[in-house]
Amino acid sequence: MTETALKVENISKRYQIGVYNATSLKYDMEKALRSKIKANAAEQEANHIWALKDVSFEIEKGEVVGIIGKNGSGKSTLLKIISRITKPTTGLIKGNGKISSLLEVGTGFQPELTGRENIYLNGLILGMKKKQIAGVFDEIVAFSGVEKFLDTPVKKYSSGMYVRLAFAVAAHLTSETLIIDEALSVGDAAFQEKCMAKMKDISSQEGKTVIVVSHHLGAVRSMCKRALWLKEGLVVSDGKADEVISTYMKEEKFIYLAQEYHTADSAPGNDLIRIKQTKVESRFEDEHNTISTETPFSIKLSFWNLHQAELSTTIRIHDISGTCVLESCSESFCYSPGIVEGSFEIPGGYLKPGCYYVSFDFITNNIEKTYSFEVCLTFDIREKGQKSYWRENRQGFIRPQAPFILNRFNDPINVAV
Amino acid sequence: MNKIRQWEWEIGEERQWFHINLRELFQYKDLLVSLIRRELLSSYSQTILGVLWILIQPILLTLFYLLVFGNIVKVPTGGIPPVLFYMSGAIIWSFFSDTLNGTMYSFVKNAHIFNKIYFPRLLVPFSLFFTYAIRNGVQLLLFFVLMFVFGGGSMIVYPLLVLIPVLFLFSGLFGFGLGLVVSAYTAKYKDLEQLVMFLVRLFMFVTPVVYPATLISAKYQTLFWLNPLTPIIETFRAILFQHAPVHVAALVVGFAVVMLVFILSLLLFKRKETKIIDNI
Repeated sequence: MTETALKVENISKRYQIGVYNATSLKYDMEKALRSKIKANAAEQEANHIWALKDVSFEIEKGEVVGIIGKNGSGKSTLLKIISRITKPTTGLIKGNGKISSLLEVGTGFQPELTGRENIYLNGLILGMKKKQIAGVFDEIVAFSGVEKFLDTPVKKYSSGMYVRLAFAVAAHLTSETLIIDEALSVGDAAFQEKCMAKMKDISSQEGKTVIVVSHHLGAVRSMCKRALWLKEGLVVSDGKADEVISTYMKEEKFIYLAQEYHTADSAPGNDLIRIKQTKVESRFEDEHNTISTETPFSIKLSFWNLHQAELSTTIRIHDISGTCVLESCSESFCYSPGIVEGSFEIPGGYLKPGCYYVSFDFITNNIEKTYSFEVCLTFDIREKGQKSYWRENRQGFIRPQAPFILNRFNDPINVAV
Repeated sequence: MNKIRQWEWEIGEERQWFHINLRELFQYKDLLVSLIRRELLSSYSQTILGVLWILIQPILLTLFYLLVFGNIVKVPTGGIPPVLFYMSGAIIWSFFSDTLNGTMYSFVKNAHIFNKIYFPRLLVPFSLFFTYAIRNGVQLLLFFVLMFVFGGGSMIVYPLLVLIPVLFLFSGLFGFGLGLVVSAYTAKYKDLEQLVMFLVRLFMFVTPVVYPATLISAKYQTLFWLNPLTPIIETFRAILFQHAPVHVAALVVGFAVVMLVFILSLLLFKRKETKIIDNI
């Protein structure tokens, strides 16, 4: 028998926007003096936004649910409400079992305290009891790999160690339901994989309910069976993760034809490389920026190479269902620190119509994957030419312009009809 | 309806009065202890004298009062040895002002944590209250040691000695309550911080910290005794030195005011916490 872990009933959340100044003070005072302020409705609406509108859903115990949507779609607000940081303006949430949330790695860490002290303090802040922490203490230390520095103040930790320790504490929470926001993209590739594996473990073996919010569609796809798509505060779609993600990517056509970061500090990446720009370059057909099946296009990548290292880059193109359509790898080369640029050319008439996404992997010394930039670009290819059912619905992963030629010979027909 | 199923918890709508969940607070007692420990340790980490500062602070302040008010301005102390007179005022006053100054930043200083993790928000001001209670409690013990060193203690009304911790506690609760009220509004209007800091400084001069209550002119006596800290400090001195009779009525009113402020501040804090976190 399945048991409900969480039931969200018609929740809405209104936020006040704008700055606080003499006007808002006057408004507040008027409101306090008169029991019911008769401000006109339009004015009131102008000062507020509805971050969530009448959201309802249920989550069964042990389910792993991904919440996806664009920035400002209400994902974070929903998580904040479920994790009790804020309350809904209207609506009700009911649930069974303790909920812990990990909305940011390392919140509540005290730089002055040692690793050991921080494990305890952070565990307590995240809702564990002292005894429970003592029970999993060794596991936390082993997972984080900071044994040697347990009695060193965390302000002296490298950022990698800091994040590993913080994640380790959160991953060993004893609560039945875990809420995670964008916390997966921490540390180097090896640790990221370890985190993902741990997350999968938590949900499958330990039977915990997990709610993940991420822009990282690849991560959502691989972790979650079910996904919820939020758009402008409404639940647009709720169902199997693959299907929801596919519709999401198709309908939100916008998606990334380019991503650019102006400083290495704020760019995604790690100690070795930081992404500067990724871009799809082509002649686009219409306002939806689709590429015709016949148009050649190129995928550009540039990144900051921070250290002299033997480096190669792999590009993967996946179709909407997550299947890898092709993969290609650059020559391994030792680049000196600086900006490295690359380009991958796809000839016209090669891919079949559909929506695709691109991921890059960075490999050092031909063996070690140091960083994965997942689902960083998406593009849409449309059919060009005459509309024929068979032309448009051809099977297969690719559609190279390798013509299939038929010839008729002047031989007599020897078939008995 | 859903009455058939039992839910372990519910999250309701914003703005509810009377929603203090004591059971939940108790469940987080480990965290409370840990926060107090952190607060006590961190204020003195990287200082040479360390925990000794707890004792040095009131001594320095007393010496300063002794110099300025005792020797330069020459304020009478109502027959109480000046060192003990100033120190008793300083210790009670600082418990009040420390808790007020500490709790008024409950939201502002912890915004980043409040925005990311849930735990009962009241733990923060409570942990500050207990931290100061411990710190200033140690100062209170120091006071008693010094009292016997300086030859006081002959006038103690022993049956009333039990009132001393109560008086001490109420001065802290008053600061806690006012601080909590301020914290609920500073998050939105920062101007309040400046104003409150200024008002607290002024407030010290209408409280018998560096002078005895008898110095106030008869016209203002009633108003003066309505300040809850006046009967608290005066009763404290009266029990130890019998310099004046205990003003029972004023003390009862004072305790009632403090309790009222304390309870109202808790309710206000609970009612406002969600809105405040949304706005910082």
